[in-house]
Amino acid sequence: MGTTFNRLHPQNLEGGIIDEEFRSEYVADRNATVSQGLLGLSYACAKCHDHKYDPISQKNYYEMYSFFNNVDETGLIPWDLATPVPAMMLPTKEQEEVLAYLETLVSDSEEKVKATTNNEKLKADKWIASNQFKKLHSQAKPDGLVAAFNFENEKLINLAGGNGKNKIRMRQQFVDNEKVILKEGAHGKGLFMNGDTWLDLDNIGIFQRSQPFSIGIQVFIPKDLETGVIFHKMNSPELHSFRGYHLKIKDNKIEALLAHVYPDNAIVVESLSDVPKEKWVQLTMTYDGSSKANGVSIYMDGEKLQTKTHFDNLYKDIVFHGLRLYGKSSPRLEPGLRIGAVWRGKGIKDATVDDLMVFNKELTEIEVLQIANPDGLDKIKKKQFSDLDETEKEKLEKYYLATNSEAYKTALKKLENNRLVLADSIDPIKQIMVMKESKHNRQTYILDRGNYDSPTDSVFPNAPEDIFPMTEDMPKNRLGLAKWITHKDNPLTARVTVNRYWQNIFGRGLVKTSEDFGNQGELPSHPALLDWLAIQFVESGWDVKALHKTIMMSSTYQQSSVISEELLALDGENKWLARGPSTRLSGEMLRDNALYASGLLNTTIGGESVRPYQPAGLWKVNGDTYVQDGEEGLYRRSMYTIWKRTVPNPTISIFDAPTRDLCTTRRQKTNTPLQALVILNDPTYIEASRVLGKQITEAKDINTGISNTFKKLTGRKISDKELELLVGLQKEEFKKFEGNLEKTKGWLQTGAFKISKTDNKALIAANAVVASTIMNADASITKR
Amino acid sequence: MCNDHHNKLTSNNRDLQKLERQIDRRHFLKKTSLGLGAIALGSLLGAEKMFGGIGQKSTEDLILDSYNKNRLGLPHHLPKAKRIIYLFQSGGPSQMDLFDHKPKLVDMFGKQLPESIIGGQRLTGMSGSQSTLPIAPSTFNFKQYGESKAWVSDAMPYLSEVVDDLCFMKGMQTDQINHTPAITFMQTGNQLPGRPSIGSWLSYGLGSDNENLPTFITLVSKNGQGQPLKASLWGNGFLPTEHQGVQFRSGKDPVLYLSDPENYDGNDRRHMLDYLGGLNDIQKDEYGDPEIQARMSQYEMAFKMQTSVPEVADLSDEPNHIFEMYGKDSRDPGTYAANCLMAIKLLEKGVKFVQLYHQGWDQHNNCPGGLKNQCKKTDQPTAALIKDLKQRGMLDDTLVIWGGEFGRTVYSQGQLTKKNYGRDHHPKAFTMWMAGAGVKPGFSYGETDDFSYNVIKDPLHVHDFHATLMHLTGVNHEKLTFKHQGRRYRLTDVHGHVVKDLLT
Repeated sequence: MGTTFNRLHPQNLEGGIIDEEFRSEYVADRNATVSQGLLGLSYACAKCHDHKYDPISQKNYYEMYSFFNNVDETGLIPWDLATPVPAMMLPTKEQEEVLAYLETLVSDSEEKVKATTNNEKLKADKWIASNQFKKLHSQAKPDGLVAAFNFENEKLINLAGGNGKNKIRMRQQFVDNEKVILKEGAHGKGLFMNGDTWLDLDNIGIFQRSQPFSIGIQVFIPKDLETGVIFHKMNSPELHSFRGYHLKIKDNKIEALLAHVYPDNAIVVESLSDVPKEKWVQLTMTYDGSSKANGVSIYMDGEKLQTKTHFDNLYKDIVFHGLRLYGKSSPRLEPGLRIGAVWRGKGIKDATVDDLMVFNKELTEIEVLQIANPDGLDKIKKKQFSDLDETEKEKLEKYYLATNSEAYKTALKKLENNRLVLADSIDPIKQIMVMKESKHNRQTYILDRGNYDSPTDSVFPNAPEDIFPMTEDMPKNRLGLAKWITHKDNPLTARVTVNRYWQNIFGRGLVKTSEDFGNQGELPSHPALLDWLAIQFVESGWDVKALHKTIMMSSTYQQSSVISEELLALDGENKWLARGPSTRLSGEMLRDNALYASGLLNTTIGGESVRPYQPAGLWKVNGDTYVQDGEEGLYRRSMYTIWKRTVPNPTISIFDAPTRDLCTTRRQKTNTPLQALVILNDPTYIEASRVLGKQITEAKDINTGISNTFKKLTGRKISDKELELLVGLQKEEFKKFEGNLEKTKGWLQTGAFKISKTDNKALIAANAVVASTIMNADASITKR
Repeated sequence: MCNDHHNKLTSNNRDLQKLERQIDRRHFLKKTSLGLGAIALGSLLGAEKMFGGIGQKSTEDLILDSYNKNRLGLPHHLPKAKRIIYLFQSGGPSQMDLFDHKPKLVDMFGKQLPESIIGGQRLTGMSGSQSTLPIAPSTFNFKQYGESKAWVSDAMPYLSEVVDDLCFMKGMQTDQINHTPAITFMQTGNQLPGRPSIGSWLSYGLGSDNENLPTFITLVSKNGQGQPLKASLWGNGFLPTEHQGVQFRSGKDPVLYLSDPENYDGNDRRHMLDYLGGLNDIQKDEYGDPEIQARMSQYEMAFKMQTSVPEVADLSDEPNHIFEMYGKDSRDPGTYAANCLMAIKLLEKGVKFVQLYHQGWDQHNNCPGGLKNQCKKTDQPTAALIKDLKQRGMLDDTLVIWGGEFGRTVYSQGQLTKKNYGRDHHPKAFTMWMAGAGVKPGFSYGETDDFSYNVIKDPLHVHDFHATLMHLTGVNHEKLTFKHQGRRYRLTDVHGHVVKDLLT
């Protein structure tokens, strides 16, 4: 989970983007963040060419890049906002317990299936030994058939019956009921595919990952077709990270895929042999509901193909659970089985298909022969029991169990049910993105001018040797890099870190350019101090709290921040630290300060982001709606306010909070009229003023009330002059409000906090104005 | 119109008289509408009369010298455009259905777009896997309009009336093929978010022309459909926050948090701010930090905005004939038409850069119907804006820009019929137009092939467009830089050429 920050770069879900272009940008962002944030190095400058000022070559850049380049991820992330992979599940304690229980149920029923298999074995062997298998019908339709099409006419009738509710037709996205084109088929006629129009089976073929299924089809593939999807149960596959399943010709091999989010949360297996062209082949994909790669089989003409497994980590479901993408009235997304073409993908142009069959169970090998290759089955049937070899006996045993043994069928059904409950319980569990090393070891190349599509020389993970070389006990992966970054001989990490904390506290780092310790950065104002702090920090065991204590207990920090004119002229930005720091609070601190001073602050730690006050309609620019939280979400610390990069929360962003598009170690400090409007009129501040105003009315006298409020907001004692001024303001405001109660409306009704009916409206409003005035004063806004 | 101002020349030097005419002195003397040292120019002209001659420097240099060059030394040269309005048509309008007339396509209906034309260019993931790429001729009727004989389709009947004011750029090219990167590229010069937008650069470089309103304002048509927008498009990137575009919204608070608490009026606020000022004065006496005054002055500016913004945002006082000119939508706040009208008011008040965004130009399917719909909402107000700028005497020094982030493909995405087709994104040829300050009116620059797929003459890259735009405002795009993360950045990065052929 500690690696999550490496995944928190912007990601793109726009349909049609070039996946690799964005994936490579994500890696570049990690590289920039780690090198800038931890090492104070402008590595990003060496992406397109050698660094112009620092000894960082383009090769150095891509060596560092390769540490972060070995992740099974995609550039295009799921359109339905499923967590991009790789991810880690974050079950609650309760969920964890439920899952543990359900997992035992599944493993118990798996055991039960095994036990039943053993129990029933005798019966099966007897059935085989008595040559009953010779009576098998070579072309029998196995049980569990939910759809069958022979394409003998244009009507597209489901020969398996079905409920008649499915709208089976030829379609493209936005175009319904296209023409059915028939050509010569494997038997009689077959359905011709143009590569863009698919046969849409509507709601047929929607299977969850716990449900076994099998799909058989005859295909005639033209000779120049190297890649194309034969059938799929997906909706714009790349846009939805291949949620669903498919059988696809991929570089002449056959690929079977089931995915929640490809590639890390998916199963992908691929045939070792090429698929034959220019002849009819029968392909069957079977799946046993186990969510495991070895539960997926591909058959060609009844023969199970040897496959290699690329991914085997399916742990969430392959359906959309009735998702409606565009609000309650929009159609459900869930696609059914589609044959021959893909929206925005590659279909099997100029291929013909025939004899499509969909089963809601995993076919055994004998059953596959029945639908695919009766001659193959005949060969077994012709044999006497004594002539059967072991594999043939095994196949027949499995067939017997699957078709004749009620006990076995019952055990299997029970297993399926338990798997379903488990799968449905896992799906709602929240996830967090993490780094996870890919087993495929992606090769990194130097990219010419930084372009994703211009790889040149290959490079391997390595830290910049000019800083100090990685030692032998540092593996060349992210673990080794972490060891290198935190090694006591690394001259940068500790200095860069203490400098940034110094910057947070003083408003200016000992090295002003906290993001750049290279030749283009500034030299430290107090190099010995920086070194001493860095060494103390490392020797304390990187104790951040102790570091803060050291800095804040220093007499440097505790100096008065009063500026004489002389000092102002000599050192306006306080580089030489002859006075204490004075810095404007950040947007987050300003809000937290108001909430804390008023007592509204909800100090709950952790949990999901919250949605406090925000002007209505801001999210509309990207088609989203901001739904404000109830009271539990209104007063949390600002660090919990939801971050939407494309439309940041204005209460905070107007005060220079970075957009988080790029790594930023040093915030700007601007001073704008829009900032004034926030503290004057944002409901957060009006409400806090009212609460403070009410507290003033409850103090023993007005002077005490105002003095306390002043101290709460500014952290210092009010001066006599200040008190006199504010008491004067309070009197005038009170008189005004008393004479015109209507004027109190905004002050009393903005925000959720309600005053009681017995409260004196004019008094609270007047006191709220006083509190708001203090809140807007330099004494509150600036830490001195 | 104040024609008398055009005729009253204060200089007796012929060169300066010429320049005065060019620069439209009327605006220079209007307090809010022009910074750039206008008053200084006025006094210079007077002074020159007194001393009866000028020195060795060229007249342009002399006038430039007279500008109050700001801390960055800008403007670099004499600006033609004092203000800009950029009508951003988000989604990628189809050039060959609007302006880039391709009559030969009719005979090629449904034929596969030749490989030789595609030339290995990348296609999007949306149509890149299509089995065929059939040519879809436009269903719109094209005619030539005006003295300039500019081709415009019948989708834009109002715009066709003002073509003699427009400078078409038909050879536009971008590097990006999908919305988010392309729109970010068009607005910031880089495909990834994080760099400053055009308006922010100009605000940073040129500063403000008025005290009561932000320098850079964005207006987004309400109820936008289609590809999303995002705040970083008008963001300041790494430039100081004060240069970000301020989004004006329709409704109670055109600027966020502008309204005081309900029933607490301006006088009440004034009273409170006076006390706040008193409190800050005490603090200033104690700590001596000039920042305290600086902050108080921002509170005063905020107070001024509380009056000036609602005034400018309130269109209700506009005369009827103005609403009629912009179309009936202009009475409905937040529409493109109402935003066009508000934009001209903002420009009048001295806002330097106003950017409108109108979504919905992403016709992947039902291109003919979708475009008609878009044009219905935008054609009349766009044309009205040109006419209105002209009648208010502002077109000469206001630059108007119209365009999206890329163009669209000649081939149909999805099914092609005689009446219907869709078009995918196309980055390597599209049309934008400019009008007004410093650009040639009734002019067309750049040419595409018979398929509107490749630029065969005078390509104009986004970086060149940026360089030219900046040039028109008096900025040398290579000189306006900002150091960030150890590197000097500029809007055009390491690219861009000013396209002199576009300039008057």
